[in-house]
Amino acid sequence: MITFERTGKRFGNLDAVKDFSITIKDGEILGLLGPNGAGKTTLMLMMGTVYRPTSGTITVNGFDVVKHPNEVRRLIGIAFQDPRVDGILSGFEVLNWHLKMTTTLDKDERRNRVEDALKALDLWESRKKRTWLMSGGMKKKVEDAKILVQRPSIAVFDEPTAFLDVPSRLLVWKMIRRLRDEGSTVIVATNMMDEAERLSERVAIVNKGKLVASETPEQLKGTVKGGEVLELTLNDGSEFRPDMLTKFPEVHDVKKQDNKILVFLNSGTLLLPKIVDTLSTQGFKIESVKLKEVSLEDVFLTYTGQRLE
Amino acid sequence: MSSSPTLDNGLSKTATAAEPPTHLILQTALRDVSVLFRTPWIIITRALAFIIQLFVFAFLISGLIHIPGLNFFEYYAVGSVVATIASISFVIGYDIFEEAEEGVLDYLLTLPIPRRQFIIGRALGGAMRAIIYTIPMFLIVAFVWGFTQPFSILTALVSLFLLAFGVTGMSITVAVSVKSANRFDVVLALLELAMSRGSTALYPITFMPFYVSLFAPFSPVSFAADTARMSLVGFTLDLPALAGLIAFVVIFLGLGAAFYFRRLEGGIYG
Repeated sequence: MITFERTGKRFGNLDAVKDFSITIKDGEILGLLGPNGAGKTTLMLMMGTVYRPTSGTITVNGFDVVKHPNEVRRLIGIAFQDPRVDGILSGFEVLNWHLKMTTTLDKDERRNRVEDALKALDLWESRKKRTWLMSGGMKKKVEDAKILVQRPSIAVFDEPTAFLDVPSRLLVWKMIRRLRDEGSTVIVATNMMDEAERLSERVAIVNKGKLVASETPEQLKGTVKGGEVLELTLNDGSEFRPDMLTKFPEVHDVKKQDNKILVFLNSGTLLLPKIVDTLSTQGFKIESVKLKEVSLEDVFLTYTGQRLE
Repeated sequence: MSSSPTLDNGLSKTATAAEPPTHLILQTALRDVSVLFRTPWIIITRALAFIIQLFVFAFLISGLIHIPGLNFFEYYAVGSVVATIASISFVIGYDIFEEAEEGVLDYLLTLPIPRRQFIIGRALGGAMRAIIYTIPMFLIVAFVWGFTQPFSILTALVSLFLLAFGVTGMSITVAVSVKSANRFDVVLALLELAMSRGSTALYPITFMPFYVSLFAPFSPVSFAADTARMSLVGFTLDLPALAGLIAFVVIFLGLGAAFYFRRLEGGIYG
């Protein structure tokens, strides 16, 4: 179990993380969802004993990260957002050395694990290629593979599928799930909605260094009033005011971003003609209309007031 | 919150297992060494440059210099091995500086190795790399001048290793205390120049200008060069020079570690 207790990290005058509290249960996949600069990487590096919290505490399986950093490091493996590999070494060598440092596996066991992971990630043919000669996607897979072969008690992935194509993304997700099935607790930092929704059992929304919500994706969606979202694109939204639509009792909230209007409501199908009529009467030209169920993206917008993607 | 801390999660042979300290120090050191072996052409070109320097420049210049009781060609040959190892030992500082800039240091700091062992491993790796790098040059010199006495060779190698170990410590100290890349390059180049040129490695102290002869005896490169020469040529042990070399290692490994800890965010180490 991992516990952040009012954790904070200050760099100069900037609070990268502030009053962050959460408990991560053994064997769960937690998605840390937030835009770039939200503090996700800082949280991970504090947990990995690279940064020291300036306030609050973090305990990993009961070990305080400041008082018992060595014990904590033996439990954690972190795959970084930008691959942190020696360019002069091949993918095989990078993974083999990582296992030498993090496990007690013998030579044959290490080779088997590395071979399995490289084959599964479609990297076996390139196993002797120096990583600086690899594409961004290949390097990223090597970075992820470090933790997949290590199988640590707590596996942390920072944007695990950045730079990856769709088949590779699905593959990495599958392997992360398998890691959890084998007993690891998994933390995935991401700014991709679909990754958070499809991979995580629980999503923690982080914004400006603070935890703003933490529930299962379905529970988070349930916290958005209405259950439906009407997305309207106007030719010019500068004159639009939310109160033009909040007068309808079925409308719970209205968010405006440039020419795009998001209306959180019930009975969207019935209300749609009235809304279109109201806006047309006010002189707005509607370029497109989309009615959909609440997504995690809408949840994020509701909690933070901004879009992620 | 769990009632008692635990490292056991049922995942056998994973990161939960504790490794003996020597294993992790060695693996850290071998990482630096393995990087060297991925670029063997650097060793080959360095060895060729050394041969040209020795058998063209040193051969010619020794014909011009006649010092009673001193074979300058031999003096220069041993000294240039020592100067070379000092120069190569500085490279680890560049590696560490680059790692910090590229974020690889963050990765290394998440590995389950206590900080002290990590720093010893890096310095050891730098020193091992420098020794491996210099061995072909040392063998050439030993072969040409017929240095075959095992104890002499061992003592000379120990002095070379101590110099390399100390210089890597110094290089790490500079790498973690200077933040600008340009300043780092300048500081390291000046240090290398002062230590090697201001030493007895390539010319005897009696022929140095007064202002150089004042500090040349205290250069760690002088300690190593004097120890190596005394053991290879004179078959004796230069104990004061050896003691100076050990002091140099202790001071700069300590300083390197202290600066490294200070640079690491929050100074988390164990």
